[in-house]
Amino acid sequence: MKSIGIGLHLDREDVEPVAKAIAASNLFVSAIDVDDDQPLSDRELLVRVAQTRAKLLERATFIAVRYGFAFRSAAEAESKIVTNAARWRALLEENRTRVELTLKVVASTQQQKPDRNSFSSGADYLRALHAAKNAAVVSDTFKREVEKTIGALCAKQKWIARDAASIEFAALIERASLLKLAPAGESLKRACPDIPFLLSAPWPLEVFADADHE
Amino acid sequence: MARTQEQVELALLDMLDHLLDRGVVISGEAVISIGDVDLLYLGLNIVLANVDTLSRVLDKRK
Amino acid sequence: MLITNDEEKLREQLSFTESTIPDRIAADPEVVENGLAKLVLSIIELVRRLLEKQALRRMDAGNLSEGEIERLGSALMKLEEKMLEMKKVFGLEDDDLNLSLGPIKTLE
Repeated sequence: MKSIGIGLHLDREDVEPVAKAIAASNLFVSAIDVDDDQPLSDRELLVRVAQTRAKLLERATFIAVRYGFAFRSAAEAESKIVTNAARWRALLEENRTRVELTLKVVASTQQQKPDRNSFSSGADYLRALHAAKNAAVVSDTFKREVEKTIGALCAKQKWIARDAASIEFAALIERASLLKLAPAGESLKRACPDIPFLLSAPWPLEVFADADHE
Repeated sequence: MARTQEQVELALLDMLDHLLDRGVVISGEAVISIGDVDLLYLGLNIVLANVDTLSRVLDKRK
Repeated sequence: MLITNDEEKLREQLSFTESTIPDRIAADPEVVENGLAKLVLSIIELVRRLLEKQALRRMDAGNLSEGEIERLGSALMKLEEKMLEMKKVFGLEDDDLNLSLGPIKTLE
């Protein structure tokens, strides 16, 4: 039997009874138990984890752990969390009343993926891939509309170059303001009817929990 | 809230994207590689090895 | 809550919509060789994409040495080549490796 780690939480009551709560490094890890030989790349399991995440988020904000964290004992979980636990705890305390939202938008110029056959060195190829990812752009007008309609509701926000085909807007919003989000999204649709975007919320702390994006 | 089939599919894909490509990375089993270059490299090599193995196994069956 | 504008374009153009996760692999000896290859290669292709994204994130963080960038880049190139070879061997197109999501479970 192994446990699939789902999130990091401040209190045991934030987790139980939706999932198992494992105390580790002054935090609680939420988890579900599966068979030892259960493959992780299994659609049913993924959907189950996603549904558990959604139920946990209804109870309280938590830090999402990227899928793939499996452990067999509380000690193992503890050893993997200890390094960053203090920082995560501080983040959770600061953002108790907030959730994340994300807005994905199709880049206005669709980048062709660099052809590896045009590169003799691995470094050149990886750099070209990186450049293509960061070359994805969206009109400034659209960005301003997003910031005006949705950003205005949010405590923190950032734009991220995630891949060559899209740009993403991630933000932290107070739970109390979530009701205003759908109308803001509709307002954005009306303002920019020709730009395909996908706005979704609420999410646990994901982008804003990731050290890379600080 | 009523959704079209397309929206339901997009919701599912969006959900998978959030699950697989976001959040803090804590080392664990292998669907996702871990934030260390050697392990990432190892991950790539393991996948390469899998492709070779698959090829050999399937060749043997012929 | 999900608000979308132009679902068709989103499906066509957003690369996150390439995330396909297979059903559990059936341990069925009757599985046609090609079918098994397709399934395994799809999983490998998924992992390849995730690793590529991971490499790009490391590039963002800017903490790779020149040697590491070279090794990662070469490994990614080699992997793509291998995938291409395997697809040819089994007569598979890119489309064949995109497993449909199947019946969609209702999400709350």
